[in-house]
Amino acid sequence: MEMDTSIQKSQTSRVLKQLFRNKRAVVGGIVLIMIVLMAVFAPYISKYDPVKQDIRNRLQPPSKDHIFGTDQFGRDTFTRVIYGARLSLRVGFTSIAISLVIGSALGLIAGYYGGILDNVIMRFIDILLALPGFLLALAIVAALGPGLENVVIAIGISYIPSFARMMRSSVLSIRELDYVSAAEAVGAPDWRVILLHILPNSLNPIIVLTTLSLAGAILSAAGLSFLGMGAQPPTPEWGSMIAAARPFIRVSHWAVTVPGLAIFTTVMCLNLVGDGLRDALDPRMKNVG
Amino acid sequence: MLRKPLLMFSFVFVLLAAVVSVGLAQPVTLTVAQGADPVTLDPHGQNDQPSARVRVQIFETLVNHDANLEIVPGLARSWEQIDETTWEFKLQENVTFHNGDPFTANDVTYSFERIKTLPSPAAYLIEVVTDVEVVDDYTVRLKLEYPFAPILAHLAHPSNAIVNQRSVEEAGDNFGSSVAVGTGPFIFEDWVSGSHVELSKNVDYWGEPAKVDRLIIRSIPENTVRAIELETGGADIVYNVAPMDELRLAGTPGIKLDKYEALSTTYVGFNVQKAPFDNVLVRQAINYALDVEAAVDYIYTGQAAQIPGPLPPRVWGFDPDLEGYDFDIEKAKALLAEAGYPDGFKTTIWTNDNPTRMEVAELFQANLAEIGIDVDIQIIPWATYLADTAAGKHDMFILGWGTVTADADYGLYALFHSSQIGDPGNRSFYANDRVDELLDLGRRETDVEKRRAIYSEVQKLIIEEAPWAFLLVTSEVNGMQENIEGFVPHPAGHHKLASVYKK
Repeated sequence: MEMDTSIQKSQTSRVLKQLFRNKRAVVGGIVLIMIVLMAVFAPYISKYDPVKQDIRNRLQPPSKDHIFGTDQFGRDTFTRVIYGARLSLRVGFTSIAISLVIGSALGLIAGYYGGILDNVIMRFIDILLALPGFLLALAIVAALGPGLENVVIAIGISYIPSFARMMRSSVLSIRELDYVSAAEAVGAPDWRVILLHILPNSLNPIIVLTTLSLAGAILSAAGLSFLGMGAQPPTPEWGSMIAAARPFIRVSHWAVTVPGLAIFTTVMCLNLVGDGLRDALDPRMKNVG
Repeated sequence: MLRKPLLMFSFVFVLLAAVVSVGLAQPVTLTVAQGADPVTLDPHGQNDQPSARVRVQIFETLVNHDANLEIVPGLARSWEQIDETTWEFKLQENVTFHNGDPFTANDVTYSFERIKTLPSPAAYLIEVVTDVEVVDDYTVRLKLEYPFAPILAHLAHPSNAIVNQRSVEEAGDNFGSSVAVGTGPFIFEDWVSGSHVELSKNVDYWGEPAKVDRLIIRSIPENTVRAIELETGGADIVYNVAPMDELRLAGTPGIKLDKYEALSTTYVGFNVQKAPFDNVLVRQAINYALDVEAAVDYIYTGQAAQIPGPLPPRVWGFDPDLEGYDFDIEKAKALLAEAGYPDGFKTTIWTNDNPTRMEVAELFQANLAEIGIDVDIQIIPWATYLADTAAGKHDMFILGWGTVTADADYGLYALFHSSQIGDPGNRSFYANDRVDELLDLGRRETDVEKRRAIYSEVQKLIIEEAPWAFLLVTSEVNGMQENIEGFVPHPAGHHKLASVYKK
């Protein structure tokens, strides 16, 4: 065991070293951390209320008081965007947490046991895969009704297939390795083999997939809110902010541009970090995501 | 020496003649853009604005509303009230349908019978007409069930247009889609669903003929796209310029805007049979809490005016001395406390996916939060909006009403009479005996002053009872190229385009 942790430690430091050498990943990571900090400290950064209207001051261009101008109800666009970051990040993390847990569990079971169980699980996954992810999420929200909680559930479900497949394929390659056979030979119970021997060794691709899926989930959440299926007014959510300000784009584009840039930046940074992680963790997986 | 200049001269002459004759023969096309495709061109089919806007070019009614909402002759050149329940109409002679058939009294009988037997969705407009009697080829008598003051205004509604029996029967199910034969200044040519309707000038028109040779009515649903079509020359006239586009077009050279106060109101209806809206104090409190002025000034950017009660000011019977509700948060809070809701309550407001109404809903959500009412906005698709509000599934809802006949009866009866609850129009489920009584009296009273007094009283009562939060009357803005002349807007929005020409 001693030996084991030190190997893991050295591996972690090797990965981190490689990650820090990747300039794009570092920039993405720094910007991402800034976005998270802005979301967390939103009330301290802005003196405005993200919801309170001041309609007599609507659609103002950027000024000293409102650095990104005001929206169609006179609310400060910058304030709404940083409060919106809270929502988008929360929706992204929780929905991906759902698909990570459920998808990985399904993939582990299918890959380890094989046979009929594998067949049943993977055919179910194939059914989910038959619809493009966003359409699947849209269909689920349409069935559940609009609302942010339902968006989280819908996106969570729509990302289960990729996690399940990724997990299953790495389990399949690890399952035949000597240390697994050794563990089984000494009579370790299944759960012990799965959790202690297989899971830790198949995590690398899952970590990469999580980062990249996070970007997709945030984008999907914004998309669903844009279509009116997600956050309901007056909640400051990036997608619904763009949808609501869209009619005014020719008069004052700021209320559309700024949340759009926020989505763009967040998704791009997550992708940069994800790419960096992929290169560092597993150079063979060049084409994942 | 002599031949060359002569040759030159004759060449130039021929060229000039060619240019002039081409210039003369060049047909003038007028392109108009509206926000939706017609449903049917059959005037006795669905009663919707996009369809009516095409139909009024092809079909005609017995009488018309002019731009000032006075009744003027149409297919009837004169009329006379013979007794309380009998009206006699003298018809225009020398009128022919587009298929060559002459127009006579029998066409009036046929059309009115068709409206009642189909029945046309707008059959309620002539519900009161029990019989159409042919006196001679050019005289008809309408028998009414009871004295009905606004009958002429109802006959001016485009849904009561006169159709030709032979063409309706020959066309069968195609009447209204590939066949539309009327008496109007334009002849139906072609309808490309989702794109445009094409009409041509009726050269044999009995009245003043159309001034353009071709009329194309396009449907462009997206407001901004419609405005851009005007800027780029894809349309000569565009209807319903949205507030934000108005601001932009106002500063665009080569484009002029025509703005007038319409007959359409927008209101917030309560479900008065559901708590807490069954309490009149709650309804009054909400009337005080809404900042309608902000909606008018900043959301409609002046394309609307606040109104004190249910009727738009241009409608006959509107009482200019009415007192509505001011914007007064303190009064609203006090009323809400008196009603037993000092801390407010949770409720919902419905709107369809009309961008302006969605904004209004969000403004009111913030207004009502000030007095402790927590409102959840629900955006309901138009397809189910009317059915669900008619079924009473709502708490509060935003809707509009166009008083197309410009008479108080049309603007009140369907909305507040207890017999009209649900689908006919009373979506606030409001029932009040005195209001019912006054509305019944109003439609029967023939003395103009007495009738005015009745409507005055009922408006005061409705304002006090507040089954709605009374909001505003909208203005309509049409944009057109600078060379367009002769456009006379109809207050109900279905503009007749025969008088329009290009300078």
